[in-house]
Amino acid sequence: MTSLITLKGVNKYYGDYHALRDIDLTINEGEFFSLLGPSGCGKTTLLRTIAGFESVSDGVVMIGGKDMAGVSANLRPTNMVFQSYAIFPHLSVAENVAFGLRKRSDLDKAAKQALVDDALDMVGLGGFGARAAHALSGGQRQRVALARALILKPKVLLLDEPLSALDKKMREQMQVELIRLQRHVGITFILVTHDQEEALVMSDRIAVMFEGRIGQLDDPETLYRRPNSRKVAEFIGKMNFLKADVKAVGDVIDLDVAGLGKVRVAAEQAPEPMNTGPAVAGIRPETLAVLFDGETTVRKLVDGVVDEVVYYGDMTYYDVRIAGVAQPLNIAMKNLIGRPVLEVGEKTRVVWDERSLVVLR
Amino acid sequence: MWRKMTSTEGGRGLLMVSPPFFYALALLAMPLGAIFMFSFWTQDFVTLDTTFTLNNYREILEKPIYGALLKRSLYVSGCVTAVTVLLAFPVAYFVSFHVRPERKSLWLFLITIPFWTSYLIRVFLWKVILGYNGVVNTGLLNIGLIDEPLTFILYNVNAVIITLAHAFAPFAILPIFVALEKIDRSLLEAAQDLGESKFMTFIRITLPLSMPGLVAAVLIVFIPTIGDYVTPELMGGAGGKLIANMIQTQFLALNNAPLGAALAIVAMLCVTAISLGFVLLNRRWLRGRG
Repeated sequence: MTSLITLKGVNKYYGDYHALRDIDLTINEGEFFSLLGPSGCGKTTLLRTIAGFESVSDGVVMIGGKDMAGVSANLRPTNMVFQSYAIFPHLSVAENVAFGLRKRSDLDKAAKQALVDDALDMVGLGGFGARAAHALSGGQRQRVALARALILKPKVLLLDEPLSALDKKMREQMQVELIRLQRHVGITFILVTHDQEEALVMSDRIAVMFEGRIGQLDDPETLYRRPNSRKVAEFIGKMNFLKADVKAVGDVIDLDVAGLGKVRVAAEQAPEPMNTGPAVAGIRPETLAVLFDGETTVRKLVDGVVDEVVYYGDMTYYDVRIAGVAQPLNIAMKNLIGRPVLEVGEKTRVVWDERSLVVLR
Repeated sequence: MWRKMTSTEGGRGLLMVSPPFFYALALLAMPLGAIFMFSFWTQDFVTLDTTFTLNNYREILEKPIYGALLKRSLYVSGCVTAVTVLLAFPVAYFVSFHVRPERKSLWLFLITIPFWTSYLIRVFLWKVILGYNGVVNTGLLNIGLIDEPLTFILYNVNAVIITLAHAFAPFAILPIFVALEKIDRSLLEAAQDLGESKFMTFIRITLPLSMPGLVAAVLIVFIPTIGDYVTPELMGGAGGKLIANMIQTQFLALNNAPLGAALAIVAMLCVTAISLGFVLLNRRWLRGRG
């Protein structure tokens, strides 16, 4: 894989406000890359510095081996799909899609028309060319914005929260379509999103950002299973945190976990270098289980009392209080055949496994 | 009947607009109707001959003075409109795009300052500025740019155009400003992202999207200036009189209200025709707006 975009020591200040802090980042050719973070973390600013709408206060942005300093947005090999879609209201769908083709003097009118038709077909809007842009639904505007950007065959397509304005069903459908489209055209996609699920579903790699810094950069599975900080773990999915005391660090880590007792875990279960002393052990709700009457397990068990029950239809979320831990454990259970839904106050047993623990500082 | 009117939403709406509607009818439609009727009558010294006649219109068509005055009025309004709108656009653009959001209302407030004094006083002030011994002439004489006072800036059509253009500037700035404010700024970024320079972005996005405001500004300036009476009376001298001055002369000085009424009707028809053209043009632009 060859790298396409390289950011070195990028900083951005707005007056006293430090929006981007020492960003070092390499994005590969043909990659689906996501910038994920809460609002105000700098992810959109970072995207806009790549697009050329914001200058960097310090550092270098390289695209395709060229330094982009002083290159304005209209001359960069990037195209953007805006959060508001930015469809030109005074132009038809076809005129919107053809907007960027004006300077292509190598193409005659018929060739441009053919490109527009191809682009509209690609996003599933074949035959919509003559429609007025304002007569489109949200999902259709989204597609026009995609066609308008992709028709120029950019090296990088930048997507600024493109799905946030759509309803849930439409959003899920567009996620799948975007992945398919990205594989089809082979262009590097950089997606900005605050939706962790969206990032996990769509990306090859994800950079999680907090307060202008990249907190963790990994593939979705590693990011979910081995978050390198409490912040990342809390932002992506849910996680139970238990106080722990690290006794020994080596090829394996020995630690005392509140409520669970003495545990030995593999060294890679601590994503960051560990020292002996106080730490935090994290465990995801779906890697814990309630042991129902009549079920057996080869894993470890701890006694608890049901504190709260939230029924979701396909899932039931339990809060189970165990001895020695102030915060009840959150447990996600699939409602399989024959499983009852427990009542608040019932005594139960919680199944756990040390392999699903992650040890954080 | 009463219950029906108060129970449906449409009925209540009708009920609410009817007092102002009748008020408007009394103050607008009735005088207009009176003017219309007058235009078909004849003045017979002190009495009015109310037999129907088209003689007034015939006279307007036959005597060249009326056509010339109407043409001059249209020319002056056209010039005023062009000058005002062309000068107003950059101001509106600057306030909308380059003034910080929290300062915009202050700027709009400053633009309305000329309205703080009466229109008449502003016209007299322009006399002071443009006069033979006025600010412009003394200033230019003192710095040696001219040897004798300029005479083409007062008591002629130019003076009327300058004064009217200044008076109507805020009316042109505001609708253009509103249209520019409504433009989603991400559209401009999108155009640049798609490869266009700042200038081409202006031509392809900003200008077409500000069209409704431009057309509104043109109408707002053009329609009242064509019938303006005060400015040509005070600034126009002998050669700068417009159709409104002739209407006034007919009604008062020459005691020929029917001919004055016919002139008013003809002027109104001209304005209506031109305005309709602009409205149709505007509709084309408005149609494309979401």
